[in-house]
Amino acid sequence: MKSFVYVIKDKEGIHARPAGVVVAEAKKYASAVSIENKGKKADLKRIFGVMSLCVKSGEEVKITCEGADEEAASAALETVFKENL
Amino acid sequence: MVIKDGVDYASLDGEKVNLLFLIAAPNSEDNVHLDVLARLSEMLMDEAFKNKLIAAKSKKEFLKIIDEAEAGKLEENEESVQFPRVLAVTGCPTGIAHTYMAEQALKDKAKEMGISIKVETNGSGGIKNALTDEEIERCEGIVVAADVQVEMDRFAGKRVVQVAVAKGIHEPEALINQALDPNTPVFKAGEERKTSGGGGKQSIGRQIYKHLMSGVSHMLPFVIGGGILIAIAFLIDTIAGNAGSSAFGSVNPVAGWFKTVGGYAFNFMVWVLAGFIAYSITRQSKGALAVGMVGGFIATQSNFNILASIMGADYPYEANAGFLGGIVAGFAAGYIVLGLNRLFSFLPKSLDSLKATLVVPVLGTLSIGLTMYLVNTPLIYVNIGFTNMLNWLANNNLTILLCALLGGMMAVDMGGPVNKAAYVFAVGSLASASATNPSGYIIMAAVMAGGMVPPLGIAISANLFPQKYNKSERRDAYVNYVMGASFITEGAIPFAASDPWRVILSSALGSAAAGLFTGLFGCQLLAPHGGVFVLATIQPSGWTILLYLLAIVIGSFITALMLGILKKNHANPELGKWKGINFPWTKK
Repeated sequence: MKSFVYVIKDKEGIHARPAGVVVAEAKKYASAVSIENKGKKADLKRIFGVMSLCVKSGEEVKITCEGADEEAASAALETVFKENL
Repeated sequence: MVIKDGVDYASLDGEKVNLLFLIAAPNSEDNVHLDVLARLSEMLMDEAFKNKLIAAKSKKEFLKIIDEAEAGKLEENEESVQFPRVLAVTGCPTGIAHTYMAEQALKDKAKEMGISIKVETNGSGGIKNALTDEEIERCEGIVVAADVQVEMDRFAGKRVVQVAVAKGIHEPEALINQALDPNTPVFKAGEERKTSGGGGKQSIGRQIYKHLMSGVSHMLPFVIGGGILIAIAFLIDTIAGNAGSSAFGSVNPVAGWFKTVGGYAFNFMVWVLAGFIAYSITRQSKGALAVGMVGGFIATQSNFNILASIMGADYPYEANAGFLGGIVAGFAAGYIVLGLNRLFSFLPKSLDSLKATLVVPVLGTLSIGLTMYLVNTPLIYVNIGFTNMLNWLANNNLTILLCALLGGMMAVDMGGPVNKAAYVFAVGSLASASATNPSGYIIMAAVMAGGMVPPLGIAISANLFPQKYNKSERRDAYVNYVMGASFITEGAIPFAASDPWRVILSSALGSAAAGLFTGLFGCQLLAPHGGVFVLATIQPSGWTILLYLLAIVIGSFITALMLGILKKNHANPELGKWKGINFPWTKK
């Protein structure tokens, strides 16, 4: 299991467009990927789940990857989060 | 906007898009549009809702579907806030850590599973977040994860999962699922405790342990409070320069005041121990608490027994049944009250309250009085036997052997008849000793060393082998450094009561060794009590003090090592960086 914590910098929070970008990235990997915020957890491969978390700017999210390619998934997602959020 | 046939919108799954939403929101700091997006996403996860939207024939119908779904969602939320689907009760003997760890684990897991839960904690601060009758009535299932007795009758007719508190910490998901499983058996009032998921009925050993621990956990505050006040008394008298006096600890009036208050607190130890054992056995019967405490009190009386009645004023012994007697009293009281309740079950329902208000208090107290009147008697004979044996040894110049034996005896029951026999013998020999015939002083020194070793050894073992104890036990163990240094053997009682043969065997061997070395070194002690505070009075002056300390240290380390070898590893020690010394052959 591999996980990292990221604080959302984007003023708009995780809104529809960046949510789409991270979900698209997460879907490339076989690992199960989850996102956690304010005690709620969602599947990072399902866009509605991600958007239903209502992650706003300045909040902390924890991304957890579990599976065969968890190392790669975690690294790639971290880059995507930094670039888009 | 609905596009019935779908449109290519570069979607994630490459499928055509049927529903398009445009969100209009104020461009404010707090991202209102995210709230809208979140709620919309939550509703869209429902496949049926989504299909209904796509199939909507008019703008009006489209909005109506959304309104309905939104109203339903809100209602569901409110409902679950008022009446949780699953209820849980957690509790552990010390009521400091496990109770709340289990609470947290259950809450976290329930949240993750999307199931509403309410957790009642039976910790050291009393019952918090108590479950209401209405909540019990409306819930779907109940998890009881407790190592102490919790009020069960209120759960009659509900699905109840009863397990040890550790399961609540480690397997919250399985427990919640089991509570919701329609196949889980329904709890009936008055039913014996059963552990489901843990495999069948609880063993008798575990039940006894649980009752014992209920008593011990209630006794602990008295031991610690009283013990530390007595230690302060000795400290004050040392500073006042009264070390060596036969009334050491109460020569200075302030010291005396502390020692008296500490002594008052100590009085309660055995009473509370007995009372709460009975309370636990009877599932919190107030009558049993009273009967048990009376039994515990009798166990601390030296002249309430058949022999004393026959001999009257000539009765010479001052021994009492001590904490072992208190345990007997607690179990006797518990089963007496259970028996009385069964015996009087013929009473019609309308007279049922008579049992609690009249039958149990009156007949229970009478029965425990008779029981303890009988139980106290044989303990006197134990005491007499030991005293006679000691006199024989002293008369045959076997002082060193005697020192080892007395030291060991101090640890066997820590304040009970065996300990008292050794202590009384030492104080008696102190009176007859003199500078030319110092064996009485040596015996006194050996007895004090023997009495200091059990708490010191336990404290050291908690440092060397933290994996044998849980967090709160370790904290209590560290207090034993003060207890041991002050010659307050009682500090070891909670540990001895929870794991008798291992702790008593380890303590007795360490204490015997301390006594043996004291005898070999010929250390002499002139004060009857005081621990490290009277070390200055050790004779002959000079190196002897160090030799005496050495004897105590050797004994304490023997006890600590024995505990490290004998005690099983604790299931959930919550260790920090220091993992403790592990012997390859010790059981995990």
